[in-house]
Amino acid sequence: MTDDSTNAGRRRFLVGSTSVVGAVGVVGAAVPFIGSWNPSAKARAAGAPVRIDISRLQVGEMLGPIPAWRGRPIFVIKRSEELLEALNEDPGRLTDPDSEEPEQPGYAQNEYRSRTPDLMVLIGLCPHLFCSPTPHIELRPQPFDEEWRGGFFCPCHGSRFDLAGRVYSGSPSSRNMEVPPYSFEGESVLVIGIDEETTA
Amino acid sequence: MSDSNNTNDTAKPGRFMSGLIGLRDWTDARLPIVKAWNTHMGQYYAPKNFNFWYFFGIISLVVLVIQLLTGIWLTMNYTPSAEAAFASVEYIMRDVEWGWLLRYMHSTGASAFFVVIYIHMFRGLMYGSYQKPRELIWVFGMAIYLVLMMEGFMGYVLPWGQLSYWGANVIVSLAGAIPVIGDDLLIWVRGDYLISGATLNRFFALHVVAMPIVLIALVVLHLLALHEVGSNNPDGIEIKKNKGPDGIPLDGVPFHPYYTMYHDLAGIVLFLFVFCAIVFFAPEMGGYFLEVSNFQEANSLKTPEHVPPVWYFTPFYSMLRAVTYPLFGIDAKFWGMLVMFGAIAVLFVLPWLDKSPVRSMRYKGWFSRGALMMFLMSFFVLGVLGTQGVSPAKTLMAQFMTVIYFAYFFAMPWYTRMEKTAQPPERVTGRFISIPQLLGSILLLILLVVLPLMLVSEKAEASEANLTLEHVETSFDDKGSLQRGFTTYMNYCSSCHELGYARFARTADDLEIPYELVVENLIFDDSLIGDLITNSMSKDHAEAWFGAAPPDLTLIGRVRTPDWLYTYLKSFYADESRQFGTNNKIFPNVGMPNVLHELQGDVICDAHGEEDASHCELSHVAGTGSLNEAEFDTVVAELVNFLYYIGEPIRSRRQEIGIWVLAFLGVLYILTALLGREFSKDYH
Repeated sequence: MTDDSTNAGRRRFLVGSTSVVGAVGVVGAAVPFIGSWNPSAKARAAGAPVRIDISRLQVGEMLGPIPAWRGRPIFVIKRSEELLEALNEDPGRLTDPDSEEPEQPGYAQNEYRSRTPDLMVLIGLCPHLFCSPTPHIELRPQPFDEEWRGGFFCPCHGSRFDLAGRVYSGSPSSRNMEVPPYSFEGESVLVIGIDEETTA
Repeated sequence: MSDSNNTNDTAKPGRFMSGLIGLRDWTDARLPIVKAWNTHMGQYYAPKNFNFWYFFGIISLVVLVIQLLTGIWLTMNYTPSAEAAFASVEYIMRDVEWGWLLRYMHSTGASAFFVVIYIHMFRGLMYGSYQKPRELIWVFGMAIYLVLMMEGFMGYVLPWGQLSYWGANVIVSLAGAIPVIGDDLLIWVRGDYLISGATLNRFFALHVVAMPIVLIALVVLHLLALHEVGSNNPDGIEIKKNKGPDGIPLDGVPFHPYYTMYHDLAGIVLFLFVFCAIVFFAPEMGGYFLEVSNFQEANSLKTPEHVPPVWYFTPFYSMLRAVTYPLFGIDAKFWGMLVMFGAIAVLFVLPWLDKSPVRSMRYKGWFSRGALMMFLMSFFVLGVLGTQGVSPAKTLMAQFMTVIYFAYFFAMPWYTRMEKTAQPPERVTGRFISIPQLLGSILLLILLVVLPLMLVSEKAEASEANLTLEHVETSFDDKGSLQRGFTTYMNYCSSCHELGYARFARTADDLEIPYELVVENLIFDDSLIGDLITNSMSKDHAEAWFGAAPPDLTLIGRVRTPDWLYTYLKSFYADESRQFGTNNKIFPNVGMPNVLHELQGDVICDAHGEEDASHCELSHVAGTGSLNEAEFDTVVAELVNFLYYIGEPIRSRRQEIGIWVLAFLGVLYILTALLGREFSKDYH
C-alpha cells in the first residue's frame, strides 16, 4: 500500500510539473507569433517624428492636412487675436472646455490647447469614428451652425469642434480632437512626435 | 492536500464540470464528437510493441502544424512579386519583430519534413506496412510525399534568390522535354518566355493555398484509412486476431493516453530539441537547408556556378542527369525525366510488387534484407552525387545506382516469392535485433555508401584550393571593432555599395552608437536614422563606369566567408593593363578599384616570370600608404567583421535565445520521459 501512495504522489507531481512546464512552452512558442504583429522597423521608421517648416504660415491660415506623423493628418493653424478671443466666449457650448480628458500633452492643457497661444497643432481626426474634419476657420455662420465661431466640421457624422479642437455639445463625438506631442527647433521648425524642446 | 483531493474525487461534479459535461452531451447529440474521439483516440487500439521507428508518423504531423503556422505568418509580410520578393524576405529577417525566427522555423521545417517522411517511409518498407490490407494507406502516403515535393519546390522559388530562380528554371524546363507539346507547355507553365514574376505569383498561390489544402485532405485520408484497418507493427502480424473477452486486442493499447501522452510526448520533445538546435545554431545547415546562392537576388542573365537542388530532391536529380542516351529519336532529357518521375511512380505500386507471405523484415528472407540494404545504398549514393558536379565516373556510378534503385522494385515479385521466410509469432514481441546487429547493419550501410562515393571522388579540386585564404576573427561582442568597421564602410564603400536591406537605426542600436553620432558623422545625404542604408548611384552609370553595377553588400557576409572577404580586400595589386590600374589576385579582373589604396599603398604582384598571376607573390611597397601593414590589416579585419555582422544582425541574439530554448526543452524532455515511464507501467 505504501508503494501505491508514493506512486500516486509521484504521478501527481509528474503530471502537474509537466503540465506547468508544457504550458510555459506553449506561451513561449506564442511569443514570436504575437510579437511579429507589432509595428516593424519599417513602420516605426515611417512613424518617427517629423519636422515641418512653419516659417511661411500666415496668420489665420492652416497648413495641412499634412500626411505626416504615423501617417495621420496633421493640422497646423496660426490663430489671429480675433480667433483666440472667439475661443473662450461661451464655454458652456463645449463638452470639455477645460480639456480635462487626456487628449493632449500636459503643456497643451490650457485655454488655447497649445504650447504658444497662436499656433494650434492637431491630429486631424475626429475622435468619434476617425473621419478627418473639414476646417472652417472664418467667423461666420455656417449651414450646420448659425453661431459658428471658427473650427472644424466632420463631414461623416456632423461633429463640430472649435479652433482648439474642442468638441461642441450635441456632437456625436464626446471627446476633443487629439493634440500630438510636439516641440520647436528654433523659430521655424515644428517637430511632431517629440515632447522635449531641442536646442538646435 | 490529499484529503481535500479525496473529497473532491468522491463528491458530485461541481457546477462547472457538470456544465461542461452538459455541453459535451448537447453537442454529441448533434455531432458525433464522442464517437470520433473513441474511434481515433480513446478506443483506437495500437500494437503495444511500437519501437523507435514509430515516432515519425506523429512527428510529421507536428512538422505539418509548424509549417502551416509559420507559413501563414510569413505570408503576412512576404510580397509575391519579382520586384519585391527578395527584399521582403530580408524585411522579414531584419525589420519584422521575430520574423527571422518564423522564417528559420519554416525553412528548417521544410527539410525536417523530408527527414521525418523519409524515415517514416523506410519504416513502411522495413515492416511491410504497405501490404494488404494497408495498400490505400501507402498510396495516400505516397500522394502526400508527391504533393510535399511540389510544395517544397514551389516554396523554394518564393524567396526569389539565385538558386530559387535557376532551380525553378531547370525543373520547369523539364516540361519542355515532352515531345510535340513540350515547347508550348513550357511557356504555359511559366506564363512567360522565361521564369518571371508571373511564374512566381502562380507558384505563390499554389504553395500557400492550393497545395496545403490538398495536403491536409490527404493527411486526413491517410489517417482515416489507417484507423479503419489498424496499425501494423514491427512483427507485421495482425493484433486483431487475438482479442480478449472484452473484444479488445490482447496486444493493443489505447492510442490515447498510452501513445499520445506516455510514449510519443517525449519523442516529440526530443525532436523539437533537435529542430530548435538547428533553427537557433545552424539554420543554414552548412548550405543544405538554406543555400548560399539564395542570398543573392535572382538574376535572369547570370547562372550561378553550381545549381544543386535542395538535398531532398538530389537522389531524383541524380537519376535525371544519369540518363544520357537518346532513344527512339527522342532526347535523353525526356527519358531522364521519365526515369525521375518513374522512380517516384514505382513507389505507388509497391503494395502489389511484394508477394511475400510475411510483412516484416524480421521474418522475410535474406534476399529481401539484402535488397533493402542495396536500395538504401542506391538512394544515399544518388543523393550525395546529386549535390556534386558531374564527371564521367560519377555519371557512370549514378547510372549503376539508378539500375539498383529500380531493380529493388522490379525484382521484388521474384525474390519475395522464392526466398525462404520464417514463421512470424502469434503474439507481438519486443526488441528483435540486438545492439551489435544494429550497429553492424549501420556500419555495413555506411561502407556501402562511402565506398562507391570514394571510388568516383576526384583528387581534390586543386586549382581552387591552392588559393589559401587568410583567416580573420569575427566578434559581435567587440563593439569598437564593429563601430570602426561601420565607419570605414560608410567612408570608403557606401557611395558605391548599398546596404539596402539594413537600417541606420538598427545598426546603431546593435553597435551601441548614439543616433546623433550616426546622423552627424555617418549619414552623408538627407537620409533619416530609420532609413535603409542606400546611396544615390544610378545603376546605369555604374555599369558604364565599372562594367558591372556594384552589388548590394548587405548579404555579402553570408555569400562569402569572412576569410574570403578579408583576403579579397588585401589582394589588390598594381596592374597597368586594367582600367583603374589595379587587379585582384583572388578575384581576377574584378571591376572594382582598390578603394583602400590611400590607406594600403602600392602592392606588387610578382609572378616570377609566369603568365598566370593567380599564384603570384604579393609584396607591399613600404611607405606608400598612410597606414603600415599591420594597421591596414586591422582596418580590413574590422570592416570584414562589420560586413559579417550586417549579413545577419540577429546572429548573436539568435544563439543567446537558442541556449535558453534548448535548456527549457531539456527540462521538458526529462519530465515527459519520466511521466511516460511512470504511466507506461499500467499497460505492461
